[in-house]
This record gives sequence, C-alpha cells and structure tokens, in this order.
Amino acid sequence: MCNNHHNKLTSSNRDLQKLERQIDRRHFLKKTSLGLGAIALGSLLGSEKMFGATGGKSTEDLILDNYNKNRLGLPHHLPKAKRIIYLFQSGGPSQMDLFDYKPKLVDMFGKELPESIIGGQRLTGMSGSQSTLPIAPSTFNFKQYGESRAWVSDAMPYLSEVVDDLCFMKGMQTDQINHTPAITFMQTGHQLPGRPSIGSWLSYGLGSDNENLPTFITLVSKNGKGQPLKASLWGNGFLPTEHQGVQFRSGKDPVLYLSDPENYDGNDRRHMLDYLGGLNDIQKDAYGDPEIQARMAQYEMAFKMQTSVPEVADLSDEPDHIFELYGKDSRDPGTYAANCLMARKLLEKGVKFVQLYHQGWDQHNNCPGGLKNQCKKTDQGTAALIKDLKQRGMLDDTLVVWGGEFGRTVYSQGQLTKTNHGRDHHPKAFTMWMAGAGVKPGFSFGETDDFSYNVTKDPVHVHDFHATLMHLVGVDHERLTFKHQGRRYRLTDVHGHVVKDLLT
Amino acid sequence: MNETSDFILFLGRFHPLVVHLPIGILMFAFLLEIVARKEKFESLNTAVPFALLLGFLSALIACVLGYMLSLSGDYDAAMLDSHFWFGVFTTFLVLLAWLVRTDILKISKSHKVKANISALTLIVILVSVTGHYGGNLTHGSDYLTKYAPFGQTEKKELVAVTKIEDAQIYGHLVQPILESKCTSCHNESKKKGGLSLADSLAIFQGGKSGQVLVPGSALKSEMIKRVLLQPHHDDFMPPEGKTALTEEEIAIISYWIDSSQAGFKTTIGTVETPENVLGFAAAYLGLSAEEHATGGAMPTVSKVDENLIKDLISEGFRVSELAFDSNLYEVVLPAKTVTESNPKTMDEKLEKLLKIKDNVIWLNLEDNQITDAQLQTVSQFKNLQKLNLNNNAITDAGISKLENNQSIKSINLYSTKITKASLAYLSKMKNLKNVYVWKTALKPEDMAALDEETKQNLHVVFGI
Repeated sequence: MCNNHHNKLTSSNRDLQKLERQIDRRHFLKKTSLGLGAIALGSLLGSEKMFGATGGKSTEDLILDNYNKNRLGLPHHLPKAKRIIYLFQSGGPSQMDLFDYKPKLVDMFGKELPESIIGGQRLTGMSGSQSTLPIAPSTFNFKQYGESRAWVSDAMPYLSEVVDDLCFMKGMQTDQINHTPAITFMQTGHQLPGRPSIGSWLSYGLGSDNENLPTFITLVSKNGKGQPLKASLWGNGFLPTEHQGVQFRSGKDPVLYLSDPENYDGNDRRHMLDYLGGLNDIQKDAYGDPEIQARMAQYEMAFKMQTSVPEVADLSDEPDHIFELYGKDSRDPGTYAANCLMARKLLEKGVKFVQLYHQGWDQHNNCPGGLKNQCKKTDQGTAALIKDLKQRGMLDDTLVVWGGEFGRTVYSQGQLTKTNHGRDHHPKAFTMWMAGAGVKPGFSFGETDDFSYNVTKDPVHVHDFHATLMHLVGVDHERLTFKHQGRRYRLTDVHGHVVKDLLT
Repeated sequence: MNETSDFILFLGRFHPLVVHLPIGILMFAFLLEIVARKEKFESLNTAVPFALLLGFLSALIACVLGYMLSLSGDYDAAMLDSHFWFGVFTTFLVLLAWLVRTDILKISKSHKVKANISALTLIVILVSVTGHYGGNLTHGSDYLTKYAPFGQTEKKELVAVTKIEDAQIYGHLVQPILESKCTSCHNESKKKGGLSLADSLAIFQGGKSGQVLVPGSALKSEMIKRVLLQPHHDDFMPPEGKTALTEEEIAIISYWIDSSQAGFKTTIGTVETPENVLGFAAAYLGLSAEEHATGGAMPTVSKVDENLIKDLISEGFRVSELAFDSNLYEVVLPAKTVTESNPKTMDEKLEKLLKIKDNVIWLNLEDNQITDAQLQTVSQFKNLQKLNLNNNAITDAGISKLENNQSIKSINLYSTKITKASLAYLSKMKNLKNVYVWKTALKPEDMAALDEETKQNLHVVFGI
C-alpha cells in the first residue's frame, strides 16, 4: 500500500496535463541523469536554470527580454501614454455640485423628482423608502473658467485654474449602485472581487520601466475616512502575483517589513537571497508551480526596494515652492497632497501605474459641508499635480485620471433645507475627467438631462473608459487576455469600445 | 417569379447535400469496374450493377431537388440551364449504363465495344462537368481559378495611391469590402435575392426587394440597414455563418453613400471626410495613419540587430520597443547615469546610439551632462518625435543644431541654460508643438517676438 505514491496521478485538465508532462520529463532525466542525461537536462531547461542564483539569466538578458521584445506582442500600437496616475475619489463625488452645472434646478427646489426621470429605476435601500424625493439644487456657485469655458463650482478653486488641461467625461455610467461592487467594478472590470485590477493588467502586459521599483504602486491617503478599501482593488486576481499593486503607506515605513531588523546590517542579504533563489529553482523544476517564480520575483523586488523606496519616499530634497504648490498638507506624509507629490516622484522614476485613493466622498447627509471639506483636502493637491507634471513636460506622456465609483442623486436623501441636504448613490450619470497624454485638453464630452440624472448624449460606460485607457497605453483591450479556468479573460470582459472622441 | 412554396424551397436546399451521393457512388462504380479487370478482384464485378443502380436513384433524387432549388430564382438563368441539362443527361446515361451492365439492354456483344468501361468513363466526365457548373453557380464562376498559380491573372488593380486624398472612395475602399464580404453570394452568376454587387450597374439595379442604395442617406439604404440589424434577425447580412462586416467597414460604406452620394469615381479629397473614416481609410490603404486610429504616425524603419540593443543596454540605456514589431524604440538614459565625474563617457554612448538613429522616436537624455556639441549628434536622429533634454547645461548654441529637424513634436528643455534666442531656432522646427521651458531664462513676454502663426502652433509651457 505504501507504494501507492509511485502510481501516477493524472489529471483530465489539459493545463495540468501540460505540467505533468514537464514533471515526467524531469523524472525520466533524473533516472538517466548520469552523463548524457544531465547534459540533456541542462539544454532542455535552458541555460538559465543551470546557473541558479539571481533566477538565472544575466541581468542584461533579462532587461533585453523586458525591453526589446515583449513576450505578449505588446504594445499593439504606438502608445500616447507611458504612465498613468489614477486619482480615485472613493465614495462617489457629487457631479452636480462640482462639474455638471444644472442651473434650472434652482427653480425646482423641493419639488418632487418626476417619475419620468427616475424611469422605474430601483433605488438603494437608504433612500428608496423615502416618502418623497425632493429636488436639491447645488448649494455651490458655478463659474466658467479658462479658454475652454468649463463650468466648475467654487468648491474647487484650484482645479478651476487648470480646466484647459482637462478632458471631462460627463456621461459616465456604471452598473453598480453600492460601494464595494462599484469600486471593484471600476478597478477590475467586474463587480465581484477576484479579477485583476487595471494596474495589474498593465504590469502584466507592458512590463516594467524601472526594475528597481514595482510597476504598480498604490497610495491611500490617511486624511480621508469612509467606506473601507481593500487589497483586492489593487490585486492581481489570477495574474501572476508579482503584478499586484504594492501599497505605500504613510510614515516611517512606506512599505512594511522592508527595512532591516535592528542590529542587522543586511550585508549578507544578497548572499542569502542567491542561495534561497537556488533552492526555489530546484522547487520550481520539481513542481513547475508558476507561483514559485512569482515569489522569487517578489524577493528580488523587495531587495531592490530596500534602497529604491527610501530614496523615492524621501521628499526632503523637494524645494519649498513645490510644497507650496501642493499645499501645506503636502509636508505631512500620507495626506492626499503628500501622496500626489509622492506620485509625481514615482512617475518620474518610471513607475507605470500609480493608483491613489482618497476616501470620504460619500455625502449621504450634509452634502454641502462634507463636499467642501473633501475638496479642501484634495483640490489643491490635484491641481498642483497637473501643473507640476505639465511644467516638467510629463503631461505629454502621462495620463491623469480623476473620478469615483459612481455619482450622486439630484434628490435629497433625508431632510432638505435651503442650506443642507444629503445625496444618495447614483450609477446612471456621473462625471470623471482625464488629463494629459492623448486626451483632448479643455474638452467636455457627454451631457446629462436637467437633473443630472440620465445621460442624454455621449455616454461613456465603465467598460468604454477601460478600453480607452488601455488604448492610450498602446493596448488593444480585446487582445490583452489571460487564460484562467478554461476561459480567456480580459479587463473589459466582453464589452467596451474605445471612445475615439476623447482622443487627440 | 411566381411564388414558390416554402416547403419546395426547403426541400430544394437539400440539393447540395444529396448531390454528393451520386458523385461518390458513380466514381466508386468506375473504380470497381477498373479494379475488377484484375483477376484477383474479379469478384467485385458483381458489385458494379448495384453501384450503378444506387447512383442512378440518388442522381434522380438530386435532380428533382435541384429543380426545386432552381425555382428560387436566385441563379443566373444561362448557367443554370447548362447545369440542369448536364445533370439530367448524366442521370439518363447512368440509367442506360445500368441497363447495359445488367444485360437488360444487349448492345455490348453486337458492337464489339467495351460498353461498360466507356460508359462509365463518360459518366465520370459528365459528373465532373455537371459538378463544375454546379460549383460555379454556388461560388461564382471564377471561384476555382481565382488563386490558380497559372493562367491569366487578370487583375483590374487600381493605381496604388500614395496620398489618401487621391484614393477613390468606391474603387479603393468600398469595392474591396464588397468583394471580401458580399460578392460571393451577390455576383452576376449567383444573385442571392436577385442582387448582384459586382459593378456599379448591378448595384444600382438593386435586388428583389428593390433598390439597395439611397445616395446621400446611408441609414435609409437597404444595404446599410441590413448590416446594422441584430445579428439574429432574419434579414441580417451577411447571413449567419459568414463573416460580418466590421464597424470600420460599415463606417466606410456609410461614408461612401453619405458623402459622395455613392459616386463611383469620387476621391476622398473632394468630399468632407470625418476623422475616424480617414483613419480607417488610411489603415486600409496601408498609408501612414498620421494622428489617426492609433497613437501617431509610424515611420517605417528597418530591423535592429539584437546585439546593438544589448550593447546599448550595457551602456546603461533603457530601450523599449514602442509597438510590437514596429522596430521603433523609446530610449531612456536614466538620470545621472553620466555625472560630473565621468562626463566624457556620453560621447561614446551617443556614438553607439547613433547606430540605431532611425529607429529611435522617443529619446530621453535628462540630467546626464549633455553638452551643446553632443546635440550635433542628436540632430542626426531624423525620426525623433519626443526629445527630453531637461536638466542639462545646454544653451542656445545647442538648440541651433536642431533647427532643421522636421520630426520632433515635443521637446523638453526645462532647467537648461537656453534664453529667448532659442525661440528662433525652435520656431523653425516644422512639426514642433510642445516646448517645456520651466526654470530657464525664457519668459512668457519673450513670445511677443514671434509672429502670430508660430504663436498659434507652438505651445510653450513656462511653468510656475
């Protein structure tokens, strides 16, 4: 009975069979490994496995692989953007209090939102049971700015200075009405967790521009409170693990567990990692588990980050006028403004995708006050980032994205007074904007009805937004796929059209 | 055409299926007949009459079904006729052959001819001819020979165009689409729905349900209506199983109907052309799709030897191909690769980079001790579109070396020693759009020296 383990376990799954065949070859060669067998093994597995250590190939070869010919045949076309910074405003900023100016609402204060506008839509449990849905006009004043005459409310005085660089999408639409599914949908193209996030897809597809830093970095600002965020939003899903977003924290250790323990000088770490790499290589040959490879890549990245991260996270060499540009918050690590500044540094270093989150845009009650407060924390940093990227010439090949997971309702959730109201989640129409590489500056796309409730012209669905984003970095969203559980997945699932009207 | 009952047509459509039975059986009968002449296989002789009878019966059924199918009226009458009569005659001959073989008709002995083998040879020839006519009916008369390696390759190719404006909308764009997606069923010999799209005359003749075109209004044209239907709709074209038209193809045909009133000689340059169509058209014609569908113009360059790339990487350059297999590269020398301690190494590096100069379209040399003299080398990169020289001690003298460049669209000069004198050189660079001059002696008021047109075209970013 104990000899059972010699019986071959074979799988009916084709992918697993492929792995099993690899193992078989290994067993065969092991048995004949004297002389010729060993040589054959070496040539079969390629020279990289013969010289364990840093994972095999010389660094130059690795770089060559990375830069010269992309293994997936990417980019599909000339990119406009080399980098993306996505300023995620978590909670759902109110479009009609910031960008989507609806002057006619003033005369309709307190009136019931017509059923024809709601169109039988199922509301959330939070306002769906309200006996009345009174129209709440914005309490903010709107003005037109710049040569593009874009409407911006006085909640965002700094952003109004850069409207000529922005490309507004006022007809955004999502499928989800609640935070977690909506954010997950916005970040991964699907409402359930488990799919790779945008940054992971790009890391997987396009590779790294700086082998000393992760390709995909996440920053969560500490001065925003609200619906929780979770790691699956910047997760790699079914893609190899090294493509997940690496979260930088505020404070002394931007990346946890990166610094050496006390009383350890780290001098023999390279040696340790080389040896560990050798052991992992043996393991990888034995089991062919791609996660071993991912783990090795992550050890190497962690090692490199020991020097690269403290360097990039150190803002002390930034001149005072730059701190003034981003606002006084920027001197306090971990705030939105400081993260914007940090993001710029990361982008300068060749990080491909920086995903920034700021929570607290969920104004179910006290929308006027809450929104004002949110803008105070974010407005200057956002505008400064645009200006700073622009003056460094980086807006030429960097795409900036601003937006939340959905919009908010025109009707008041809870009691409506002249100065106060709340707003509930609204997926059918909201505003996002992009700026920089390849998108039309000073441009507004899409229109909503007088209630900012339905899109009346040029809608952009989340899938379309994803497709457009991919297009800008040189990726055809229909051709970047990954086979998992017998099916080829992509960021846009089976949907999405590139919105050509947004492109320069 | 009188209405034919649907059931007749339903049966008729089995003709292409059933017709292969007599073909196969008769061919086999022929083989049996030949093989049976060998003594060893003599016993097969007895199978021949049976095969012939079976061949006759299946041919008869095929004939009847074929007649039913012909009632649909979708086929060219003349071609149909020959297929019809050949089919009937072949069937009759098979009957005859069977009668002879079974000695019901006794002619072989009296005439001393090898009736069996000659009859079967004739049958094989007839079956082939009939089959060929049938094939022509279904697939079009040039189906068989279209890709033949010999014979006349009568290509009515239009003159290749070099400028997109000169392309004929119909000839260069629409007709190739029709030929790839429509004319296999809608041609002169096989007019499905009575419609042929083979040439201008046929197109304007329309089909059974009327005109296919309403010049000037694509959405009212049957041709466009049909391809825009839901794919499961009965009237959707092309029918299920055939490759549907792409979005681009529909856009081009719609544009042809709308903009040129479905003119057959109109060129793109003479009518108003939406930008997206221009992009599709450029892609179709293989012309440079400047600023259209993709990220920008793609110069065509030769392949770079991998060893050159390796060499550059070992010099500290980051080299990445901007689009797969385009041989176009972005080259970045990470900041401070060259520092004050080793400024001389830059010359060597640039010398090496010069070997792939035509392949580099984005070049980033920021903060690397670049000197004015080295810009002479950079000026030889004739396909450059983006050039980052920021944080180097370059002056106006350096910029003057770039003034003849026609390709650069964006140049980053922030934190350099340039002054307003550089503006004159920069304004000579024809394609230049964006200039970044933050932290230089150049100030917004210096722009006043430029003429209006340059001011319009040149976007100078001064920073804060």
